[in-house]
Amino acid sequence: MNRRLGTINIKIFAGVLAAVAIVIAGVAVVRLDTTGKKGSGLGKEYVYDIKELAKIDPNLILYEEAVEAISTGFTDSRAITVDSQGSIYTAGDKAIRVFAEGGNLVGEFKLADVPRCLTVSGDGKIYVGMKDRVEVYDGRGKRLASWESLGDDAVLTSIAVSKNDVFVADAGNRIVLRYDTAGKLINRIGERDKDRNVPGFVIPSPYFDLAVGHDGLLRVVDPGRHRIEAYTFDGDLEFWWGEFSAGVEGFCGCCNPVNFAILEDETFVTCEKGLTRVKIYDAKGAFVGVVAGPEQLVEGGTAGICQFPADCQAGGFDVAVDATGRILVLDTIKNVVRIFARREAG
Amino acid sequence: MMVENKNNPTRRHFLRDSLWGACLAGLGGIAGFLGRKSKGTNTVWQIDPELCVACGNCATYCVLEESAVKCVHAYAECGYCKICFGFFGPEPFDIDEAAENQLCPTGAIKRSFVEDPYYEYTIDEKLCNGCGKCVKGCNTFGNGSLFLQVRHDRCLNCNECSIAVACPSGAHKRVPANKPYLLKRVDHA
Repeated sequence: MNRRLGTINIKIFAGVLAAVAIVIAGVAVVRLDTTGKKGSGLGKEYVYDIKELAKIDPNLILYEEAVEAISTGFTDSRAITVDSQGSIYTAGDKAIRVFAEGGNLVGEFKLADVPRCLTVSGDGKIYVGMKDRVEVYDGRGKRLASWESLGDDAVLTSIAVSKNDVFVADAGNRIVLRYDTAGKLINRIGERDKDRNVPGFVIPSPYFDLAVGHDGLLRVVDPGRHRIEAYTFDGDLEFWWGEFSAGVEGFCGCCNPVNFAILEDETFVTCEKGLTRVKIYDAKGAFVGVVAGPEQLVEGGTAGICQFPADCQAGGFDVAVDATGRILVLDTIKNVVRIFARREAG
Repeated sequence: MMVENKNNPTRRHFLRDSLWGACLAGLGGIAGFLGRKSKGTNTVWQIDPELCVACGNCATYCVLEESAVKCVHAYAECGYCKICFGFFGPEPFDIDEAAENQLCPTGAIKRSFVEDPYYEYTIDEKLCNGCGKCVKGCNTFGNGSLFLQVRHDRCLNCNECSIAVACPSGAHKRVPANKPYLLKRVDHA
């Protein structure tokens, strides 16, 4: 009798044990993450986190989006400029598109190649920087001239025009070229020259912007040094401003700012990549405030633009200003022009 | 009765033996060709740098205790920046090599001065665990010259790679064994 009870107890015990084992195995299978959905399991020291850096004190934001964004219609928007009449010119794909101040498309002309940068002179000529050369068009899109190629290494990233001069930034050769309006090379600006105290530009990536200031000096971004330098047209380095800082007052990352524009009151509007920020500096380079930060400019508000490498490299927004003080940001990720106006005080 | 002399083959024997020889040679040729062809279609695992999101799964899902995935560097694409965000944390206390300023949790990236203001960055593979944190930093702020690759001196080439199963972006894929690395192209424009 006892032996029989003992046998039954062992059977029950074995059954319970088997049931527990099955349950544990089931839980283990359910909990097993073979698909990576639960993440890498690495500690927080392995997480790349710039969320805190992306936050900007709302009191520093001086601008707001004024009107609905303008869709460029490009798949690869490259550059923006505004002419003296307020018309908005955008370059991308293999075309130039012109929008009225209000955002209506008023003109378009095709190009043989991908444009990289553009500017419009006072007499309405459109200077377009292709990868290795400048092309000049009239307002109807008729090509007036194609200047000599600067070679295979050239990567033109910015172009500016003054009364008699055209300045071209070549990121590939790390040099600024000064031409007359007919395309004749006058001189080169920014070559390393110890005697003239010119250090040479540091350009790690293809972002190299320039503009002619209202004081008659040429302003050129030296992105690897995180500063904007002022040159005479003959190439003398006069002064510079800007410094590296992860904080909002400086330029973050390896190489910023990527683009800039100059407002009528001689203040500067700068664009940064990585931590996408558009900010205002006064004529001497003192930080004034923010036009828009990552929370306004980038989906997700942080470094979401860099989900894929190709997205990261598209994070260099271009910027232009119009005579009314509006700031036009070319969003190269969404291919739209976002227009910001100064908030009214109070 | 005529006795056949084996040392003196007839024409029929000669033709038969020649045919057998030709058949064997043909079979050998076909086997060699197929063998070579199958070797050419052998595949190994590799990461497509254009799809990789540097999620960190490569560091923990590999069946090896130390992952077969390591960070590599496309020098031709690197800007040799003084302030490299693949090397420095987002908020470095100083721009020097002190451990507290570095991004890599294992100190696997080494920095050496080239000329002012340029620095060269190299990966110490023994220290790299393939977490991809530097890849995130370099992609976000720089040119994306740091990227992850499966090192074939370590990879076991499992039939079903556990990293590939856990890869959220489909970047981990099979490539021909005679082209085992997917290196980043240089395109400054």
